[in-house]
Amino acid sequence: MSAMDWQAFALSLRLATVTTAILLAIAVPLAALIVLGRGRWLAAVEALATLPMVLPPTVLGFFLLVLLGPRTAFGRGIAALLGHPLAFSFDGLVVGSVIYSLPFAVQPLVAGFASVDTALVDAARLLGAGPIRLVSSILVPLARRSLLAAVVLSFLHTVGEFGVVLMLGGDIPGATRTLSIVLYNQVENFDYAAADRTAAILLGLSVFALAIIYSISHKRGVLRGGRDA
Amino acid sequence: MPKRIVHALLAFLLVAPLCAQTPLRVAAAADLEPVLPPILDEFQRATGIHAEATYQASAMLTTQIQNGAPFDVFLSADLSFPKRLIEDGLADAAGSADSTTPITYAKGALVLWERSDSHLPPPSLDLLRSPALKRLAIANPDRAPYGRAAVAALQSLNLYDTLKPRLVTAENISQAAQFVDSANADAGLISLTSALTPRLTADGTYFVIPRDLYPPIEQGVVIVSNTKQRAAVHKLLDFLLSPPVQAELAKSGLTPVK
Repeated sequence: MSAMDWQAFALSLRLATVTTAILLAIAVPLAALIVLGRGRWLAAVEALATLPMVLPPTVLGFFLLVLLGPRTAFGRGIAALLGHPLAFSFDGLVVGSVIYSLPFAVQPLVAGFASVDTALVDAARLLGAGPIRLVSSILVPLARRSLLAAVVLSFLHTVGEFGVVLMLGGDIPGATRTLSIVLYNQVENFDYAAADRTAAILLGLSVFALAIIYSISHKRGVLRGGRDA
Repeated sequence: MPKRIVHALLAFLLVAPLCAQTPLRVAAAADLEPVLPPILDEFQRATGIHAEATYQASAMLTTQIQNGAPFDVFLSADLSFPKRLIEDGLADAAGSADSTTPITYAKGALVLWERSDSHLPPPSLDLLRSPALKRLAIANPDRAPYGRAAVAALQSLNLYDTLKPRLVTAENISQAAQFVDSANADAGLISLTSALTPRLTADGTYFVIPRDLYPPIEQGVVIVSNTKQRAAVHKLLDFLLSPPVQAELAKSGLTPVK
């Protein structure tokens, strides 16, 4: 890979890391609310959190481009707050990626939290645990595997993200040209040899990273649901 | 729904494709999307041949044809992609004077487009020189013919190095137009065909970049050699090059070749 490709690789890793961190902060409380809360509006919340999967990514990117642009009050507000417009910047890609990957963080967590024995949740409640304690001491530890799945899926989905970045990014080296854009450019420019190399490195490193994550979680018994974690 | 209606519908869906004549499959460059549909309708009225077009970036269509996409004819936005297919032995221009050179059916024009409500001066070469122009949208110069022309024009004006950090690159001209129409970019170098679409006509104004600033954007057509409908393809080519259709191309922003 050329220096340009490494720059893109570093950018993709940074984007995926920041996005995953923000997604966890949003998705854990959101999933807990969906599972523990009562009321019909929660179904609407869950539906909304799944919606980004329905839209073709370039269309989602187009909507975000319009929403975050200077033609809406929202876009102007954010630009005033940050000192620069969101489109064609790294921050803009983070916003786009968080929305784009939201279902991949929320869905595994909802499934995981819902599978926790309700007797345990009720017992904790009777013993006076508030919602924060309930999530941090009961739901998250018992749904470790789902948490891991949410992290892995959010991260990989962001690394492989393409349509939103294409639309919202403007292909600026070092700021918005991610590895998947580089790879797409290589394919489109008929530079198949370079594309093969980039894809091989991307796939190799992803498998390597996944193997590390899964081996750590095996050792700690996360996947067996043991109590030693 | 009563069962009988469902059965009738199912029967129709099964039988309909067998009755219909295979349409002529046209691979068309994205800049033709606002131009070609009425022309294909007229073609069907004149000849009875139904043609269906797929609009994509020329580079993408080239890859698809290289990998066996079932198109009969390829209307590119430049000459390099059709030439590549001819070199690969996958396409030809048989029937014309030189069967190894794509037939040029029109020439494209590059324009500088800007929203009417922009606070910057109206589109002109001076706008390109203005330091107030913070973001200029262009199509990808590595493969989009209009992106190549945009970079060539900026180079002719000795502005490329100055503007390079302020360029935002879109996948194709219509995306470049969206960057500007959504006001995320201040102006864009796009095709005249896009600038003349109703949406962009309503939202903004354009300035035609002088033609001596960039090499001509010659749009070439080739016959996909695998076609089983060569006669129909030739009818379409003759139709495209006929004076009335060429005049129509001129109205949509392409420069006629005849």
